[in-house]
Amino acid sequence: MHRGDDKRCGALDKGCGVAGYLLNQCIGARLDPIRWGRAGLTFPMATLTSGRKPSARETAAGVFVFLVLGAVLAWLLHTQARFSPAVSIAFQDGGGVAAQAPPPVRLPDLLSSWPAALHPMSPPESFSADTLSDKIDGKAEVYLAAGVAGMKCQRLALPATSSSWIELFVYDMGKPANAFSVFSSQKRADVTDLPLADYAYRAGNQMAFVQGQFYVEIVATDEAPATLDACAALAQAYVIATVVAVHANVSADSALFPKEGLVAGSVSLLSADVFGFDALKDVFVAHYRSGPDEVTLFIARRATASEARAGASALRGFFVDDCGGRESPHPPEPAGAAVIDEGGTFEGIFTSGRYLAGVHQAPDRESAVRWMKRLADRLSQSP
Amino acid sequence: MNEPTPALAPDPATTRRAFLRRSLEAGAAIAATGGLAAWLWNRHPPGTLGRGAPASLMPDFSVRDAGAKMAIVTGADRVRTLRRALDAMGGIGRFIKPGDRVLLKVNAAFAAPAILSATTNPELAAELVRLCHAAGASAVLVTDNPINDPESCFALSGIGAAASAAGATVVLPRPGDFAPLTLPGGRLIRNWPVLHEPFRGVTKLIGVAPVKHHARAGASMTIKNWYGLLGGRRNQFHQDINGIIVELSQLVRPTFVVLDGTMSMLTNGPTGGSLADLKPTHTLVVSTDPVAADSFGATLLGRTSRDLPYLARAAQLGGGTTDYESLRPARDDVS
Repeated sequence: MHRGDDKRCGALDKGCGVAGYLLNQCIGARLDPIRWGRAGLTFPMATLTSGRKPSARETAAGVFVFLVLGAVLAWLLHTQARFSPAVSIAFQDGGGVAAQAPPPVRLPDLLSSWPAALHPMSPPESFSADTLSDKIDGKAEVYLAAGVAGMKCQRLALPATSSSWIELFVYDMGKPANAFSVFSSQKRADVTDLPLADYAYRAGNQMAFVQGQFYVEIVATDEAPATLDACAALAQAYVIATVVAVHANVSADSALFPKEGLVAGSVSLLSADVFGFDALKDVFVAHYRSGPDEVTLFIARRATASEARAGASALRGFFVDDCGGRESPHPPEPAGAAVIDEGGTFEGIFTSGRYLAGVHQAPDRESAVRWMKRLADRLSQSP
Repeated sequence: MNEPTPALAPDPATTRRAFLRRSLEAGAAIAATGGLAAWLWNRHPPGTLGRGAPASLMPDFSVRDAGAKMAIVTGADRVRTLRRALDAMGGIGRFIKPGDRVLLKVNAAFAAPAILSATTNPELAAELVRLCHAAGASAVLVTDNPINDPESCFALSGIGAAASAAGATVVLPRPGDFAPLTLPGGRLIRNWPVLHEPFRGVTKLIGVAPVKHHARAGASMTIKNWYGLLGGRRNQFHQDINGIIVELSQLVRPTFVVLDGTMSMLTNGPTGGSLADLKPTHTLVVSTDPVAADSFGATLLGRTSRDLPYLARAAQLGGGTTDYESLRPARDDVS
């Protein structure tokens, strides 16, 4: 063996790695690097530096080893491609325990200082749209449908009591209309409206209000006067501290509904999946009582009259094709209107300019026609 | 010109020194490879728990000779309705035998006060613990993998303190407590991390859940309660909430379930938040058939099993029956 051969062999061993080295050891031959292509990649090939050609047995052994290595590589790639992302994510998250959310990009602020009656009980928590369900589970869908950007929350103790505490939730809904949507769609049946922020109410142990693009909930452990006073103080402090450029105001949309029979405070904005139809979005609804009638009227403002007509056609198709309703053969006023029998309740749909409107779950056909006419008359007076 | 191929033989030029050096280098390469593998080896991957074999299937905890049974008891006092319901089913001794190690799967999903009924009522959980001990259970464990952090959930819901005071061991899930599990024939639960460690040595499983509206699923009751056994980023299952509930009904075969409709959450579930979301429906169900229990529970929410698509699918796959009346449920009132 020449010294030059030894030097080449040493360099070669580093370049070939373990596989080449084991091959080297297996067949008792040395490996020479040769240049492979223009890229100058080093590729190991078995040759005899002594000048002799490898035997068929040596070649077969070398090919066998490389085939085995290739098979191992293919198996690794195949297995890795099928590896459950859930497990890897769970592992990254620290097993299956619900992981703390990564910091979201944009979040509403909580208060920098709390009212005197309250002390922080836990650190603030932050959730993005992607992680909101880590906090509120399936209820996140309500906020996601309305365009939530993020949420912060924090628990606060009332030191004056032994066990009372409250939790403040601040949702950034992106714009005031979205905040009103989640506020109104979750509004409880029996509430006390409050002169606070843009819209506000209290329902037992809970307060909810809209301040611009922010929807705020305060949930208390009880209804004790001291607890409710602390909730009110917290709400006031939040409103004072949170200056918004644009406030929520749906008075113009609410004014489109007839006043007679309107259940006070019942106007709400539904963001998505209205009446179970996933294509029906951004619809104002209002509840009415008049004599024996209890119905829901709805109005959706669209960009153009043709868009409103297309929406009406799609909704009619949903009630007939998907819900198994039967359309009345005698269409009522206004022109283009439809009444659909849903087997006990009646749906009415019509358009007025760029408004898609109608009545939902009327008790009979006559009621549906009567309420549609009232709504159509009202819409015809609007700009 | 082809010369004869030389036989594979030691290179005559190889010296002893060269041989030793090559041997050392080969040994070093093997040692380096082994060291690298050891360094990369995860000794505690999700599922292996560091000891024992990973879970392949959830055991069947049902009591075969008990049959399909159900009891519906009305009343506002959960302790009394629970006792009466179990008595109507032949007594808890029919299900829990001396020496049994019982796992109580509660709904501790949220760090919310018990008054909101978003979680299992602590008094109800505690009474179940006491009854299991009275029946001779060697140990009663109480667990859940909550949406929020486990410590806060068990503390603020009151479940942790109540269960501990009643003699249970409260098991808060840790990262190593999960094992990848595949439901045979399942589409969603495939190699998915499932709470595993608390099940070691367990012989009986009881689920206890409140009746709640659920914004996505329509309702959350005893079958949805098994969702709390799942780990990982399970929120992606919300895209197919009916599918995952159906698979959970196939995955878990409990000894019996307790459906608490004493206060039902009719709106804004599953978190609720306001007492205005609750309605006193004053009913408690104990059943060996979770599908039947939930089908009855739907009526407490003003619905039927037809309004909850996952119930019919679970029944079709053998998870139980939506026709709960076919079980001839025992009915009683302790108002």
